[in-house]
Amino acid sequence: MSRLKNNKSLMQALSWIGMIIIAFIIFGIFLLMQGANPLEAYKNMFESTLTNQIGISKLILKSVPFILLAVATSISTRAGLVNVGVEGQLMIGMLFTITAANFLFTSLPTVLGLILLAIVGMLGGALYGGVAGLFRVKANMNETITTVVMNYISYFIVSLAVYGYLRDPEGFNWPMSTQISDSLTLPKLFGTVNIGIIIALLVVALVWYFINKTKTGFKMKVVCGNPNAAKNAGINVNKVRFFAMVATGAIAGLAGMIEICGVEGRLRTTTCQDYGYLGFLAAWMAWNNPVLSVATAVIISFLSVSGNVLEFKNNLPASSTQILMSIVLLAIMWRGKGRKES
Amino acid sequence: MISLITNFLTNAIQSGTSVLYGIYGETITERSGIVNLGTEGSMILGAIAAYIVAADSGSMGLAIICAMLAGGALALIHAYLCINRKANQLASGLTLMFLGLGIAAFYGREYVSVSITGLNKIAIPLLSKIPVIGEAFFNQDILTYLSFVLCPVLWWFLYKTRKGLFLRAAGEDKEVVYAYGKNPQSLRYLATVLGGMISAIGGAQLSIAYTKTWSEGMTNGRGIIAVSLVVLAKYNPSKAMIGAYVYGGAQALNVILQSQGVEISPFLLMMLPYVITLVALFVSSVRKGTNAPNELKNIIGG
Amino acid sequence: MKIMKKLLALGLCVSMMTAMVACGGSDSASTESTSAAGEKTTIGFIYVGASDDYGYNQAAYKGMEAVKAHFGDKVEILNQEKVPETSEASDVLEQMIQSGATILFPTSFGHLTPAEDVAKNYPNVIFEHQGGMETMPNLGTYFGTIWDPYYLAGIAAGHATKSNKLGFVAAFPISQSLANVNAYTLGAQSVNPDITTTVIFTGDWSDPAKQTEAANTLIADGCDVLAQHQDATKTIVELCEANNVYTVGYHADASELAPNMWLTAAVWDWSGLFVDICQAIMDGKWQGSQYDAIYRGGMAEGIVDLAPFGKAVPQEVQDEILALKAEMIAGTRHTFENEIKDQNGNVVCENGSFLSEEQVESMNYFVEGVIGTIE
Repeated sequence: MSRLKNNKSLMQALSWIGMIIIAFIIFGIFLLMQGANPLEAYKNMFESTLTNQIGISKLILKSVPFILLAVATSISTRAGLVNVGVEGQLMIGMLFTITAANFLFTSLPTVLGLILLAIVGMLGGALYGGVAGLFRVKANMNETITTVVMNYISYFIVSLAVYGYLRDPEGFNWPMSTQISDSLTLPKLFGTVNIGIIIALLVVALVWYFINKTKTGFKMKVVCGNPNAAKNAGINVNKVRFFAMVATGAIAGLAGMIEICGVEGRLRTTTCQDYGYLGFLAAWMAWNNPVLSVATAVIISFLSVSGNVLEFKNNLPASSTQILMSIVLLAIMWRGKGRKES
Repeated sequence: MISLITNFLTNAIQSGTSVLYGIYGETITERSGIVNLGTEGSMILGAIAAYIVAADSGSMGLAIICAMLAGGALALIHAYLCINRKANQLASGLTLMFLGLGIAAFYGREYVSVSITGLNKIAIPLLSKIPVIGEAFFNQDILTYLSFVLCPVLWWFLYKTRKGLFLRAAGEDKEVVYAYGKNPQSLRYLATVLGGMISAIGGAQLSIAYTKTWSEGMTNGRGIIAVSLVVLAKYNPSKAMIGAYVYGGAQALNVILQSQGVEISPFLLMMLPYVITLVALFVSSVRKGTNAPNELKNIIGG
Repeated sequence: MKIMKKLLALGLCVSMMTAMVACGGSDSASTESTSAAGEKTTIGFIYVGASDDYGYNQAAYKGMEAVKAHFGDKVEILNQEKVPETSEASDVLEQMIQSGATILFPTSFGHLTPAEDVAKNYPNVIFEHQGGMETMPNLGTYFGTIWDPYYLAGIAAGHATKSNKLGFVAAFPISQSLANVNAYTLGAQSVNPDITTTVIFTGDWSDPAKQTEAANTLIADGCDVLAQHQDATKTIVELCEANNVYTVGYHADASELAPNMWLTAAVWDWSGLFVDICQAIMDGKWQGSQYDAIYRGGMAEGIVDLAPFGKAVPQEVQDEILALKAEMIAGTRHTFENEIKDQNGNVVCENGSFLSEEQVESMNYFVEGVIGTIE
C-alpha cells in the first residue's frame, strides 16, 4: 500500500518536472524565433544560479518571501476564502516594520529588537488582513474583490509614508526611508543568507501542523467544505473566517519584516512589488499544500533570479522573463492535480 | 466653472470607457460561472493588437477586429484550463494576465514611438450642443458610443434570449442546463471567449481612440479593477455604467482637485478611485446584499 | 519524436547542471579579469524603466548604443531594463559582475544604495552612477543640469502664453521633477511675473490615459502651454497639437509630432559622456579623473541641451533665449539665482547667490507661482 503511494507520488513529481521541461521547450522555440540559442541561454540560467554560492544564496533569499506568502495564502484557502491580499498585507507589514525600526526600536539590542519588529510586522499585516476579514464577515463583501482593491490602496499608503514621514533626511529628497540600524538586521547563516529561510520553513511546519492536527484547523476544513453544515455543527463560521484572514495577514506581515530586516533595509515604493501575486500563484500551483508550496516558491524564485541572466546575456527585454514564468505556471496548471483528485 | 464640470464629465466618461468594456466582458463571463482575472491580459492584448494593426494597415475596423481576436484567444486559454483542466480560475486568470502583459510588452517595443491617426471624436449634431452634458456625452469617439449601445444590447442578450437564459443558468446551476439537454461547459466557453473579446475592445479604446499611443502596461490595472466593479454593477450589464463611471469619476476628481491647487497630498488623491470603489462596494453590499451567480460562489467564496 | 529528442537533450542538460552543482562547489567572485590587450571589456547598464520608453531610460540606452558603436568589438555590453531600485538592482549588478562585467552603469538615482552594497564587495569593478551625490573609491557619479534648458524653455512658454497660465504634467513629486517645474516657472516669470504654473501628478511614469486626463483638465482650466516630466512624452505632445495648445517637450526632440504648436524641449545626450567615461576606465585613467567624483555637466558639455525651436517661437524670442543660453554656458548666469521664494513665501535663495547642484537636486518645494501640492 505505502509502496504504491510512493510510486504514485514519484510519478506525479516526474510528470510535474516533465511539464516544466515542456514549458522550457515552448519558450525555447520563442527564443529561437528571437535569434537566441535556447540551450546556451538555459545553460547560462542554470549555471549562474545553481553552480555557485552567490547564485544559490540569491535563490534562497528570494524564495523566503514567496514561501511565506504562499503559506499565508493557503490558510485563507483552507477556510474557504480566496484571499488575493497578501500583496497589500506584505506592504503594510513592511510599513509597520520600518516605522517601528526607525522611530521606536532604533537602539534596542538585536534579539529583543528583532522579536518586537516581527510582532509589529505581523500586527501590520494582520490588521490589514483583518479589515478585509471584517468586510467579509460583517458586510458580506467578497474577500477576493476587496483584497484586490485594498492592494492598490496599500500601494498609495506606502507612497504617502515614503514621500512623507519616512523619507530619509539624507537621501536628497528621494522617496525612500532611512536605512534601518545595523543592530536590527537579521543574523546571517552563511554568505548573504539570513535566518529568514529557517523562519520560513518553521512557519511551513507550523501551518501544516495547524491545518492538519489542531481543532481550529479541523473547523476550518469543515467551514471550507460546507459552511451550512459547519453552522449546524455549532461552528462559528464567521469567527473561523475572520481568524483565517488575520492569520494570513500576520504571516504576510512577517514576510514583510523579514524582507525589511533581512534584505532591503529600507522601504521604497517599489519594494517587493508583485511578490504577493507571485506568492498567491505559488500557493495555488501547489494546491494550497504548505509543504508543496515550498517547491513552487523555489521555482518562481529560480525563474525570477535566473531571468536576469537570461535577459542581459541574450539582450532580451524584461518581458521575456515574464513570458517564461507565465508559460511555466500555465504548464503546471495544465498538468493539474492529475488522477489523484478525480 | 461650467467648463470644469463639462471637463469632469468628459474625463469621467473617457477614463471609465475602457473599464466599462472590461465590466461588460467580465459580467458575461461571470454570469456563466467563470471568473477571469485575465481580463487585464485581454485588455492589454487588445490595446497592442489594435495599435499594431492601426499603425501598419491604417484600418481602424480591422484593428478592432484583431483586438477582439487577440483578447478572445487569451480568454480561450482560460476557458480551456478552467473547464477542461479544472485549474483554479483565479490562478489561471492571474497567470494569463502576466502572460498578456508580457507578450504585449514584447511585441509592442517597435510601436512605442509610432504615431497613428486613430479614432477621432465625432460630435453628434444638436445633441453635442446641449449645455454642460452635451460635450461630455455626445462628442466622443465611436468606441465610446458603442459602449453606450452595448448596454441595452448585452442586457437584451442575457435576459431576453434563449442563449442568454441558458448562459445565466450555467452560472446558477449547471444541472438545470443539463436537464434541458444543453451543455453548460460549451456555454461557459462561449461566455469566456466573448467576455475576452469585449474586454479587448476596452484596450483598443485606450490605445487607438483615447490616447492614440502604445505604452507598455498601459491598461495599468484597469482590467483588474473592472473585475471588482462587476460586483458593484450587480452582475448586470444595465448597471455596468454605474461601476465604470464611479471609477472614472473618482479618477477625474483626483485630477481636477489637483488642477485647482487643493492642498491635499497627491497620493491621497490618487488613492481616491480605489477608496471610492471600496466604499461603493461596501454600501451596495450592506444595502442590497450580493447577487453573485451560484456557481461563482464556489470559486471566489460568494 | 522530435519532441522526445529535445526532451532528452534538455533532460541531459539538466542532469549535467546538477552534476556541475555537485562538483563545482563555490567559485564565487572569480572574475578579476582586468582588461588586458585584445580582451573584451564587459560593460553593464541597468535601467529603471523600459529602455524604449522614449524618455529618461531611452536617453541612457542611447548613451549605451554610442558606447557600443564607438568601441565595437572591444566591448561586450550587458543590458537590463526595468530594474527596480531595490535589492533587485544589487542582484542584477552582482550577476553582471559574475558574467564578467568590470564597468557598471546604474542609471537611476535610486540605484545608488543597491550599487553601493555591491561596490564595497567588488573593489576592482568600477561603478558610474547616474544622478547621485555620493562616491566611493570605485564608484563615481554623473548627472546633467537639465533644469537649465528647462528654464530657457520657460522663457519661450512665457512669451507664448496669452492666459498667463502654464500647465505641467509630472509623475511623482521627486526633486528632479520639482526642479524642472521651478526652473520652467522662473523662466516664464522672467518674461511676466504674473505667470503661474499648474502641476498635476499622474502617479505613473507613462500611463497615457492618465496623461491625457491630466492634459485635458489643464487645458479646460485655461492653460495654454503644457510642459511635462513623463517618460513617454508622445501622448501629451500630440494632444497639444490637436487642441491648439503650445507644448514644451522633455527628454528628446519630438517637434515632428506637433509641427504647429511645438516650442522647444529640454533634452539629454549622454553619448559623449558615456564614451568618455568608458575610455578613461579602459585606459586605466579613471582613478583620480573628474569621473571618479561627483561630476556634473550641462549645456557647455553638451550633456543637456535645448531642442530646436518650433515655428511658434518668434525669431526675436529665439535670439533672446540663445543669448541667455550663451551666458549660462559661460557660467555668468544661473537658473536658480538671486531672491527666490517658495510657495509659502520663504526665501530659498538669497539675493546675489545661486543654488548649488546639490541644493537643486534635493529640492522639496515649489517656487512662488506654482499651483500644486507636494506632500
